[in-house]
This record gives sequence, structure tokens and C-alpha cells, in this order.
Amino acid sequence: MVAAYFRSRTPGDIAFSVVLAALCVLILTAVIYPVYFVVIASVSDPTLVATGQVWAFPRGVNLFGYEQIFKDERIWNGYLNTLLYSGVGTALNLCVTLPAAFALSRREFRPRKAIMLFFAVTMFFQGGLIPTYMLYRDVGLLDNWLVFVLPAAVNVYNLIIARAFFESSVPEELYEAAAIDGISYFGYFLKIAVPLSKAIISVIGLYYLVQHWNDFFTGLVFIRDYDKQPLQIVLRDILLSNQAFAGGAGSAGGAGNYAQQYADQIKYGVIIVSTLPVIVLYPFLQRYFEKGVMIGAVKG
Amino acid sequence: MTVTTHLRRHWQLWAMLAPAIAFVGVFAYIPMYGIQLAFRKFSFQHGLTGGEWVGFKYFIQFFESPLFWTLMRNTVTISLVTLIVGFIAPILLALVVNQVVHSGRKRFMQTATYLPHFISTVVIVGMLQVFLSPSSGLVTTLFGITDVNLLGDTSAFVPVYVISDVWQHCGWNSIIYLAALSRVDPQLYEAARIDGASRFRLIRHVDIPGLIPTMVVLLILSMGGVLSTGFEKVFLMQNTLNLPVSEVISTYVYKIGILSSQFSYSTAIGLFNTLINFIFLMVTNQIAKRVSGTSLW
Amino acid sequence: MASRTRSWCGVVLASALALTACSSGGDGEGGGGNTLRVLVLKHALTGPMKDMAWVAELEKKANVKITWEEVSADWDQKKSAMLAAGDVPDLVVGTNAITNSDLATFGTAFEDLKDDLGKLPNVKALFDAKPELRAMATRTGGEIYTVPGYKRFWPQTVTHQYINKKWLDELGLKTPTTWDELYDVLVAFKEKDANGNGDPDDEIPMDWSPVDTGGFGYFQPSVLLGSLGLPISAGGGQGYFVEDGKVRNFFVDDRYKRVIEFLHKCFAAGLISKDVMTQDYTGYQSVGRGQGDVAKVGFSWGWTASDRFGAQLAGQYRATAPLLAEAGQSTPTTWTYDSYGENFPANQIAMSASTGNKDAALRVINAFYDQDISIQVLFGQFGRNITKAGDKEYKVLPPADGKSDPSSWKWTTTLADNGPTWIRDDIEVTLPTDLQEAVDQSEPLLPSIKNMDLKRDVFPAQFIQMSAEDLTTLSTSNQTMLSITQPKFAQWITKGGVAGEWDAYVRQVNGSGMPANVATLQRYYDKYAAQRS
Repeated sequence: MVAAYFRSRTPGDIAFSVVLAALCVLILTAVIYPVYFVVIASVSDPTLVATGQVWAFPRGVNLFGYEQIFKDERIWNGYLNTLLYSGVGTALNLCVTLPAAFALSRREFRPRKAIMLFFAVTMFFQGGLIPTYMLYRDVGLLDNWLVFVLPAAVNVYNLIIARAFFESSVPEELYEAAAIDGISYFGYFLKIAVPLSKAIISVIGLYYLVQHWNDFFTGLVFIRDYDKQPLQIVLRDILLSNQAFAGGAGSAGGAGNYAQQYADQIKYGVIIVSTLPVIVLYPFLQRYFEKGVMIGAVKG
Repeated sequence: MTVTTHLRRHWQLWAMLAPAIAFVGVFAYIPMYGIQLAFRKFSFQHGLTGGEWVGFKYFIQFFESPLFWTLMRNTVTISLVTLIVGFIAPILLALVVNQVVHSGRKRFMQTATYLPHFISTVVIVGMLQVFLSPSSGLVTTLFGITDVNLLGDTSAFVPVYVISDVWQHCGWNSIIYLAALSRVDPQLYEAARIDGASRFRLIRHVDIPGLIPTMVVLLILSMGGVLSTGFEKVFLMQNTLNLPVSEVISTYVYKIGILSSQFSYSTAIGLFNTLINFIFLMVTNQIAKRVSGTSLW
Repeated sequence: MASRTRSWCGVVLASALALTACSSGGDGEGGGGNTLRVLVLKHALTGPMKDMAWVAELEKKANVKITWEEVSADWDQKKSAMLAAGDVPDLVVGTNAITNSDLATFGTAFEDLKDDLGKLPNVKALFDAKPELRAMATRTGGEIYTVPGYKRFWPQTVTHQYINKKWLDELGLKTPTTWDELYDVLVAFKEKDANGNGDPDDEIPMDWSPVDTGGFGYFQPSVLLGSLGLPISAGGGQGYFVEDGKVRNFFVDDRYKRVIEFLHKCFAAGLISKDVMTQDYTGYQSVGRGQGDVAKVGFSWGWTASDRFGAQLAGQYRATAPLLAEAGQSTPTTWTYDSYGENFPANQIAMSASTGNKDAALRVINAFYDQDISIQVLFGQFGRNITKAGDKEYKVLPPADGKSDPSSWKWTTTLADNGPTWIRDDIEVTLPTDLQEAVDQSEPLLPSIKNMDLKRDVFPAQFIQMSAEDLTTLSTSNQTMLSITQPKFAQWITKGGVAGEWDAYVRQVNGSGMPANVATLQRYYDKYAAQRS
């Protein structure tokens, strides 16, 4: 539809297109170059990288970094764990957040302001690590994989965004029409609100997924059994074991030349290994942001 | 309306809220008793709630610290500039991306701008070190910058911090706006076309109004972070040269805490931080309600 | 789609609620029997405990079975939650895994070993042989919560000074002995093509390890204070030092001002790396390694030449003696004294106050300080890492993995410096080459260290225990002081201005609570000195 609109071109529109294209090229260069740098740095001689001699093409090419990462068997287990935690975690997040956001978006629901405040307060006031640790210990979440899933079931920030979308994107007339047909809240939520909100569901889902995917602190503090550690912790350990003595050779009594040299290369490799799956996923979600998908579905 | 009629009419909404309320109640509210640590002297023997009550001692200690005003100034500067630039940039990016008609190019543009979000802070700072090095950095050489040390000068710290931050998260943060743009009614475009509006006017009169509810919500939320600067990046970017502008509340708490387990003091500073943030959120929320009719509650 | 979503919710929620309901079942701590839960803080390089042959020997000696909980990263974050929640394993192993400040706050989480020395004959013998270790282990209230160690062989200083001898020879220059001579040499390094690669501009005459916002450390120009006879230890730290029995802080000392002036002169002449204030440790190390056999750095400080400049370039560098501030000066030079920190590692093992098997835990502590176990903990197991040549004679072997260097090899195969260790003074050990190199390269520095009276010129921080209140005050005031001193250090060297700003700066630093800290440290020092004599 939009495309059809632009087929009729005025000189002003053409100028606009030129400026737009230039702007896009500029943005792309600024954004892609550093990403490209990460890729070439992950296969280049780290000494050359650190001294600013690698910038256009990889130099002193070797795959030592990736060898170090993949020769560690723990990485596959870490991948599986992260997939499990992110998958189950995100599913639970959506199941808890979306209905709550919908309920809070209903204007006729009077207590919603008080409940919003109840949620919003937790974005600010937190008990701190020690009482949290004690709570997890008391409910048996220490060293239990559910610690990755349950405590983070609701992210209030995401809840607020989802609520705002339900409020403004689902036309109120639809609810009135449905209400006359005697539809229940459950029915309205599942049959109308959710299908109309694919864009926001995929955004919130992505937010949650990435949050789980990058979660590093939970494993660090609350998990002892290494078999339950997520990918981020495993990669961190691989990185550190090569970083060796950076930060003060003397205090440790001597530096590992051989190891230390490659720490940086692994640092760059780790980024690629850990984020590739999330990056690959994105284009699949993108189609839900395409213009007109939703409104067309309603009004068509 | 009595409680019974309310429940009869709305019990399904309560049921939909119940899981979220339960999770937040258990995992966020139960540990909150830990906040009283800010008013007590932490004592291991007597537990979290058993230490001697000292009232506002730790708050006063913080306010009277010679570093207090420096920390406040640095923190507010960094976070306010990040907040403003970081708020506007994703909106502009979303508007630009949204103008790309060709669907393949548009997706490519989106994916590309979203990538840097996944580079870890350590690596971002490492890359800044390499690119901005006064002797061999690519940026320094490319733009012939010789009189400023971009990594050390106190005047360069905030721009470098903010620009790299925007660069890294702009694409990611624009996703939500793209989602919002996706629900702009095509009939509005149609109507504008009949009026003979230019593309620029289309953005002004159709796209931007469509974004406003989202913008307001995000602005309110980000105002609630006015005293929170990310710890890791500031800490990693810190050096002896830029310390006068790069010491912020979070790095100070870290340094104080790591040297001697000052739980009470750091809890008090954290609580002060939180209060200011919360007040900012409430005020912005009230203003937004008056001005735009959109608000969190 | 919708109904699927709903049933998902049901399943997940049900299990969640079930979990919350049947929660507080208890942790299932093993405790009894002969099994101990031991947390060990390892270096990130170090392999799994089960691969260390001495572990079996230790278990046999102590007659226990150990379940290891191995931590090698982000220990600080884990620790505070664990300690505050009172969740301490039977034993915690690792140098300074539990720090003095942890003990000041969480001391009672640990067993007081003072009354158990009867069951710890090795520890008792260690304390008798090295009384300073007993002082080190004893808290202000008299308790002994942790046992320190003794490594004996580490050189008296960690920071060694190097100059590129090949460049000197190439340019026909002599090794500098004074600041002025150093300045001239550095100018020659800068102006000529010292490394002979055809580019006269790629030499970095002088470079040092990044100075942190938290104070001075190893391989930093704070050692130049020694040229003026100011005795520092551990690289300088937060500026506190003892001179002739009096505690002071060099941040307000005129000699510090002179060092800054000299360094600014060098920086202004382009003799110091432009990146010196802003590079990270990786950058500093990478530059030192040059390119192939072309060196980049002329004069610098490091642990050993091989470590600092890489195996390929190490041969070009010579370890040199401390410089005189001016030719023919009457003040004897000093150097940073680091032996206490290196040879007397603190807080190596601690025992939970609530362990279910106290006797077994004590036996493990004792076994760690056994002669044979100790040396294996430090350098690796017999056979692979060490040959035991006689009752009191050991030889550390070169790495079995040809790709590895002695240092990495040691850290990969054993707990090394992180493990509880008592190296007896009466045994003979052939050291690994890296440690030997460090000892050899300390040689030129020894006369300057001899100029210091170890009793009256070195603050024995390692052996002094302070109260929680004092630790808190010290660290808070130091933070304020460092926020003034560190930026000034960097600014004065790169931009100058020390002469004009010095007096105002001294007033500011004196207003930061530093003088009170000096008084506190003096009090502890006097008490320790009285005890010692």
C-alpha cells in the first residue's frame, strides 16, 4: 500500500529519496564497520590488533581463538542449557506478562492504577543481593535451573510497554462490539487482542529472550554445579583462562606469555560464538513488524 | 460498586493478573526487608535485621563526603546526556528505516543496526581503546586529531561515552518504534496522498503522531533512570586522566564496597539513588498525564 | 495457537507454584562421615582438581574424601552473598580468598583455630619457625581464623628495570645511571632509528604499566622515588610508606614532586608513550612485544624480560640498577620492597565455624602444610612437575608440554601461588627458569634494597591486622584522597603545572582525611614494632 503511494513521484520526493539513501549508507557504514572489525579481529594476530595495525583486512590470520573456544567440551552443554533457560524462560515470561498487561490495559478495571504502582515500585526498590540469596536458598532455588526462569518471570519494564501497546493499538470499538456479543475477557484476549498484537508480542518476546540469553549474573551467584551453567559463564571462563595475568603479572608471580597473547582474540571470537543464534533469529521476527499486517487483518 | 459485583464482573482480569502479582510479590517484595540495612549497622552475628539502628547516619555520611557533589554532577551529566540523545536517536532511526520502501533493504538495515547491541561492554571499551588511541587509533588518524586525547581528556569523556552508547544501542532501541509504526493505519497514508502531502509532511503528520504514545511511555521510564549510569562501561573507561569527570555514584560504591564490606553504606547510597529516580519518574509521569494524556498510571 | 499457549501457562505455573509450596526442605548438606565440602579459589588457568596427583595424597594423609567446589572467576560477587547468608563450605582454600576485611566483618563465620593448634602440628611448627606469620594470622581480638603461608623463593622485588641494550650498542651509548643520562639516552632513542627498521619515529623510548585510579602498583614509575631515597613497598599503593620508623604519605612529599617534574620533562619531549595514561594492560603488553624481532620500547619495567618483551625480544634487554636522581648525590638509592607480599601470602585457608566434621577439616589444613604436599601445591606434582632428589632436595622440571612456558605450565597443572604452602628454609630446590630469571634480574637492585632498614623503612602491612572501623575509615578517606591525587599525577605529567599547583594540592590532600590515616597506620606500626623487638 505504501509502496503504491510512492509510485507517484514529485521532484520533492525524488530529492527525499536521494537524501534518504545517503543517510542509510552513512548509518550502515558507521554501524557495520565496528561489527566487521570484531569479525576480522577474531581471526587476526592479537598483538597487531591491540596496536591498531588491523583495520581493513585481517592480518596474521589464525583460528587459535576459535580452537580454544571449541576445544572446550563444556561449551556444548552451556549452549544446551542456555537454549533451555531462554526457551522455557521466554515462554513463561510471555504467559505471565501478556495477560497481566492486557488486564491492566482495560480502562474499566478500576484497581489497575494501584496495581501498576505495585509493579512499578519494584523497578526501583529492591532488597539487594543478600536477602535475595537467602530467599532463593529457602525456596530451594539455589543450584536449581529454575532460578534462571522463575524470579525473572515478570519484567515490569516490559509489562508497562506491553500494556501501553494494548491500550493504544487495539481499537476500543472492537471491545465494545465484542462485549455486545457477550464475549468474556479470556475470549477477547485470546481471540482478538493477542492476534492483533503480534508486533508487540514479538518485540517483548525478543526483549525477554535476549535478557535470558545474556544473563550471566544468575549463574554466577546462584549456581554451583558447573553442568547447569549457561553459555555465558562457560565462555567467560574460557576467556579468563586465556586472559591469565592481565591486570598484574607480578602479583601472580609471573605471566603466561603464550596464553596471554591470545586472550584478546578469544574475546572477539566469544562475541561471535555467543550471539550468532540470536542474530539469526531476528529476521524471523521482523516480518511481524511489517507495515499493515495487523490493521489489515482487522479491518479487511 | 461493591466488592462482589466488582469480582463478578472482573474476576477474569484478576485471574490474568494473579500469576504476575504472585511472582512479583514473592521475588521482589519478600526480599525488600533488606532495605532497612540502610538504616542499620550491618552485623553478621545479628543478621540482616538485627544490627544496631543508626537512622540516617549513612545517608549523612554520604551527603557530607567531599566527593558527594562531584559524584552527583558526574552522574547526572552522563546519564542526562545519554538519556536525551539515547531517547531521540532511536526515534530518528526508526523513522528513517521506515521510509525505506524496498522490503529486503529495510530488513537488512534493521538487522545491521541491531547487531552492535550484542557486543559486550568489555569489547566495546577495548575497541574504543584501539580506535581512539592517540598514537595509533584509526579515528585519531582518520580525522587528524592530535590536540585532544579522546581517551583521557575530561572534555572528551562524555561525548565518547554517549556516542558509543548511542551507536551500540540505537538499533536495538528502535525496534519498539518500528513495531509502533507498523500499526499506523494505512488509510491515513491514503488520505494524505489524496491531499498531495510530501513524504516529509507524511512523517510529521502521520508517523510521528503514531509514535507519541510509545515515546511518552519510554520517556517516563527513562526519566526513572536519571541517577543510574551503567556501572561497567564507566568503570572500564575510567583512567587517571578522566577521573574528575568519570567517577560516578556506582563506581564509587563499587570501590568503597570492594575495599571493605560496607554493606550498610552502599545500601544507603543505593536507596538514595532509588528515591531520586523514583521521584523523577513520578514527576515526569504527572507532567505527561497533564500534557499528553498518556501516563503509566 | 491460543489454546496451546494457555496449556503452556498452566503447566509452567503449576510447577512453579508446586516448587514454591514445597520449598524449604533444606539444603541437604552432607556434613558427617569423612566427606568434606571444600571451596577452592583457583587461577583461571588452573585445570580441575581431580587432575592433580597431590590431591589424592592429601586426601590419604588426612583420611578424608573431598568434594571440591572450584571457583575461578568473579569470586568477590559470589562471596559476599555466600558469607552474608552464612553459607560457608567446610573449608575455603585460596590465597586471600577470604580477605582481612571479610574477616573483620564475617569473622565469626569461621572457626577460631587458636585452640586447635595442638591438632595442627605443621601449622604450629610454621608459626614457631616464622613468628611474623603468627602475627599475621592473629586478629585484633586474638582469634586465628585463617592460616597464611611462606613461599621463600620469590625475589625481594617484583618490579625490575630494563633497557634495550641492543639499541644502546647500536647508537654507541652507555647504560644510563642518572636521570639526566636517562633523558639523553631516551632522546637518542626517539630521534634516531634505534631499532634499525628504517623508521626513525616508531620507537617508544619509555613506557610503563597503566596506573590505576586506585593507586600505584608494580611496573610503574613510582620506583623512581627510590632515586631520591624514598622507600616504598609493593609498588607504592596508596602512597603510605615508613621512613626511619615514621609513617608518611608520598603524595605530599617533595620528592614525589621532583619525580613528577622529571617525568613531565620526559613527556613534554615526547619520550614517553602517548598512550601511557590511557592504554589498558593488553595494549601495554602488546606494544612491549614489538613486531617480530623489531623492538618498540627502549626503557621500561616488568616482572622478567621474557614476560615483559616476549621470548623473542627478551635477549635485547638488560636489567639495570636504580638511577641516581643526580650524579654524585649523597642520598643512597632505594627500591620497592615487595618480599612480604610475595613470600608471605595471607589467608590461605579458613574453616567454617559450622562444619559437621571438624577433625577431618583440621587434618586437611595440617596436611596442606606438610613439606612434600606444600612444594607440590606450589610447583606441581612429583614426577610430572618436580623430581624429588632426596629427603630435602627437589628439582622443578621444565614444562612437559613443549608449547607452554614454565609459568603457564605451573598455573595450569597445580594451585600454585593460590594454594596453602610452607616452603621450609632448610630444603634445597632447583627453581623453574622463570622464577630464576626474576631472581637473577633482581641482582642489580639488591644494593638499593640493602640501603633500606627493613624494620624501619618498610611498612609491614602484611603482618598487621586492623579493626573493622579503622579499615572502613581508611578506605573511605583513601577514596577521597585518590580522587585528587590520581588525576593530578596524570595531568601534571602530560600537561605540566606541578610547580604552580603544588601548594594548593598539598592542602587539598591534607584535607582529605589522609593525615588521620597516617596517624592510624603509625599507631598500628608502633604496636607491631614494639611486639617485634
